[in-house]
Amino acid sequence: MLILLVKGAMATLVLGVAGIAGGTALGVVLAALSFTRPWPLRSAYRLYVFLARGTPVLVLALLVFYGLAAMSIAVGPYVAGSIVLVIYASAFFAEVFRGGVLAIPAAQVESARSLGLPPLAFFRKIIAPIAFRYALPPYVNVCVMIIKASSVLSIISVWELTLAAREIIERTLDVFTVLGTAAALYFLMCFAVDRLGRRTERDLMRRGFMPERA
Amino acid sequence: MTFGRWIAIYGPSYLSGLAWTALVALGAGVAAVVWGTVLLLVRVAWGRAGARAVDGYVQLFRNTPVLLWIYLIYFAFPLIGLTWSAVICGGLALVLQNGAYISEIFRGSFRAIDPVQFDAARSLGLSRWGTFRKVVLPQVLVYSIPALGNQLILLLKDTSLLSAISVAELTMNAKLLTEQTGAAYEAFIVVAILYLAMVVLLEATARWARHTVRWRPTRHAL
Repeated sequence: MLILLVKGAMATLVLGVAGIAGGTALGVVLAALSFTRPWPLRSAYRLYVFLARGTPVLVLALLVFYGLAAMSIAVGPYVAGSIVLVIYASAFFAEVFRGGVLAIPAAQVESARSLGLPPLAFFRKIIAPIAFRYALPPYVNVCVMIIKASSVLSIISVWELTLAAREIIERTLDVFTVLGTAAALYFLMCFAVDRLGRRTERDLMRRGFMPERA
Repeated sequence: MTFGRWIAIYGPSYLSGLAWTALVALGAGVAAVVWGTVLLLVRVAWGRAGARAVDGYVQLFRNTPVLLWIYLIYFAFPLIGLTWSAVICGGLALVLQNGAYISEIFRGSFRAIDPVQFDAARSLGLSRWGTFRKVVLPQVLVYSIPALGNQLILLLKDTSLLSAISVAELTMNAKLLTEQTGAAYEAFIVVAILYLAMVVLLEATARWARHTVRWRPTRHAL
């Protein structure tokens, strides 16, 4: 039984990593979109974030699964589940990155502009490092949120830790042990991600500028 | 069948699911605020042990998915003799989870209270319970209004998970409709629109509350 749960935890981890990676990539693109000048692009950003954050994960997942079927696109459950998590995560990551950029004190941006760097170098050397440091704590929070959101995919029969636990319970009725172990596995994964984030914050604090946690 | 016709025919059947979702969200929300207040009391009154206990509780619920707790309470309660309905079991899980987050919100608001007020309360002869009731609690509740609004929206979205234990709320409604009518995505688009409408309503209410309730601490001449 334990082995089955651990396998489920691995599936959860795969889904989580896929969601986080894809969500980060898409989130960077979306955050960039939110800083463009033409207003249709910025409105599109606001609309996307509103839709992706305002619908429950379960409804989003049902929409994606049934929508893909209706469009006759046949992908496996894990791919479809990853798509759901990527869409959900990208909206939250985009807001986190946006917040990170907006948190940079205006005085620093102005004095950096006086350096006369070309736009790409300006972004790479000034904006990105500072925004990254401001965005790190909420970024880690969203990562933990995505790992927990993967459990919702169990309702649509994507096999991962929660579904594994439910299957075992339906066969053995050993509710407390099974769900307790599953909870411990989730706790392990999320706690590890949180600790990793804290260690990165600590290292950044030692190496140079890193705003302290409130 | 076109989308418009689909709404015209099946629209009203969403009403009961909508009512259930709103009811569960509000009930669980109020209960979670009460439970968060209890956790705040434990944190404040029982010193370091209390703070550690509440921190442990919060960590437990921050690192585990709420669906797990819904299943745990729903499947385990009959085994220990409590045959409560699915709504109560699921609602309890939601209350436990959101109570943890709300207690964190209250913790932040508690730190915003000027410590001089505690000295003033003691000099007025207020007991510890009296201080909590008359000084701490009103201010904590008022300072927390923006964050509580956010949390209520998250709670509303989490009610959709109760469909996993067959509670007759909005998402369950959509799943049943899909099975009955064979329509794939129309049912869920309507449900998504309804959730978004509720979120918009809650955000508007939160904005109104922020403007109306004077939650910024007023500066009195000392």
